[in-house]
Amino acid sequence: MRFFNTLVLECSAELLKIARAPEYIVPTMVFPVAFYTLFGVVLSQGQGASEYLLATYGVFAVMGPAVFGFGVAVANERDKGWLDLKRASPAPGVAYIAAKVVVTLLVATIALSLVYAVAGFGADVALPRMTWVLLLVTHVLATLPFILIGLVIGFSLSANAAVAIANIVFMGLAILGGLWIPISMYPSAMQTLATVLPSFHLAEIALFVSDAPGEHTLTNHVIAVIVMTVVLAFVTVAAWSRQSD
Amino acid sequence: MTTQTRHPLCINNASKSFGAVAALSDVSLTIDRPGVIAVLGQNGAGKTTLIRTALGLVSPDSGSATLFGVASNRRAARERVGVMLQDSDLPDLLTGRELVELFASYYPEPLTVEDTLALADIGEFANKRYKRLSGGQKRRVQFALAIVGNPDLVFLDEPTTGLDPDARRALWSVVRGFARDGKTIILTTHYLEEADTLADVIVIMQSGRIVAHAPADDVRATLGGSVIRCHTTLTEDQLAGMACVSRVSASGRASEIHTQNAVETLRELLSPEHHVTDLSVSRPNLENVFTQDYS
Repeated sequence: MRFFNTLVLECSAELLKIARAPEYIVPTMVFPVAFYTLFGVVLSQGQGASEYLLATYGVFAVMGPAVFGFGVAVANERDKGWLDLKRASPAPGVAYIAAKVVVTLLVATIALSLVYAVAGFGADVALPRMTWVLLLVTHVLATLPFILIGLVIGFSLSANAAVAIANIVFMGLAILGGLWIPISMYPSAMQTLATVLPSFHLAEIALFVSDAPGEHTLTNHVIAVIVMTVVLAFVTVAAWSRQSD
Repeated sequence: MTTQTRHPLCINNASKSFGAVAALSDVSLTIDRPGVIAVLGQNGAGKTTLIRTALGLVSPDSGSATLFGVASNRRAARERVGVMLQDSDLPDLLTGRELVELFASYYPEPLTVEDTLALADIGEFANKRYKRLSGGQKRRVQFALAIVGNPDLVFLDEPTTGLDPDARRALWSVVRGFARDGKTIILTTHYLEEADTLADVIVIMQSGRIVAHAPADDVRATLGGSVIRCHTTLTEDQLAGMACVSRVSASGRASEIHTQNAVETLRELLSPEHHVTDLSVSRPNLENVFTQDYS
């Protein structure tokens, strides 16, 4: 009961922070839909580009809130000593992380909804209702490995370094993972490089789920994502215990 | 588990180095009763590392720390402890009241939010965002988080840095009240006056070691005698030559004369040919002890 009370208060604290400084979070919600509108609708070339980019920009949309919300925000609060104070108190660490996860999923869902709205109403992407639902589930779940990447950044780096590294990681995952430009247009060396990035595999899963143009498989990519997520989880725990010194 | 291990704080042979710097060298400290314990020492003496080790925020290279007989990093220990850290800023965008409510939820039997706001004297700005508070007001919000859990043991690392005199005295009176209620308060401070006013027990650290741990009265008694303060045209050498004088030091424009027998010294000092004004006689305070032994 006490834990539940703490969880509610931690969630409300996270929401208040966002509501009181929307300038930090609004760009991560607006950029994906702006880019999708430009490249997926206005400059869309050829059949099925809007469908294809819906799947990949959906992954892009959840990546920002996760990498920045966790990477930069956690590094900041750690730098200030706020995390130390919480660790010295009986605060359940799980509630702090869980509240951030809840709020990140919320922000990611808003960012996604905007992209979906433009796809559905602006680009006339027509998918069966069930496919929309499956795609939404896929995209929302895709947030989790990015949250772990954000946590590793947040636990390992100073606030200033976290901003720089989060930007590099964010752009790297987007461009090299084929979220902006279909991976098939890349030279083969870059296609090989993409296979070590979770963004690439998540995009392939989303492309498969939405039955987008091109050949897309499911099993190998799901396995790759699960393996990467487990590895990231271990790295996160290691980063967490290392910073407790 | 023996009762001995249930003391508010037990640090056993703790050592901790940061690179080549030994912040703690084989430190043992047992606090076995309620009251105010002041940890004194210069910057870099290891005070903050001692506190962070006691709290389980720093894991010592060797040795251990327990709170109430439980390893410091266990939740059962932390539920009985309140903390004010030295370099710990709170989230800018939340208000004092919101932060107090959040911290209250961490503890099994917290004070009410209203009581906490009143005790820490932050009621009038409790609804302002932390970012917009002055330095002293921020410290008071941090103090509120240290006490909201109604803890049996409170750690205050330099609690009054940046406070104006009124706020400092208000905080002191809360600390004294806690001690009267049977709680233990461990505070580090630069201000000897603060330790002098508050502390029942003094712990003095130097280069990562505890060099003194004794009741405050005993620490003062190690100096013994009295301190005569006055303004005079007499030189230090002349004063030092007077009866029973052990040491003379300057404090601003005034002279401080340490004497084993104030009556004898005063007889000589107050002879008609000497020009002496603003005279006072007092027991030695910690500042006198500190300047003599630990600087």
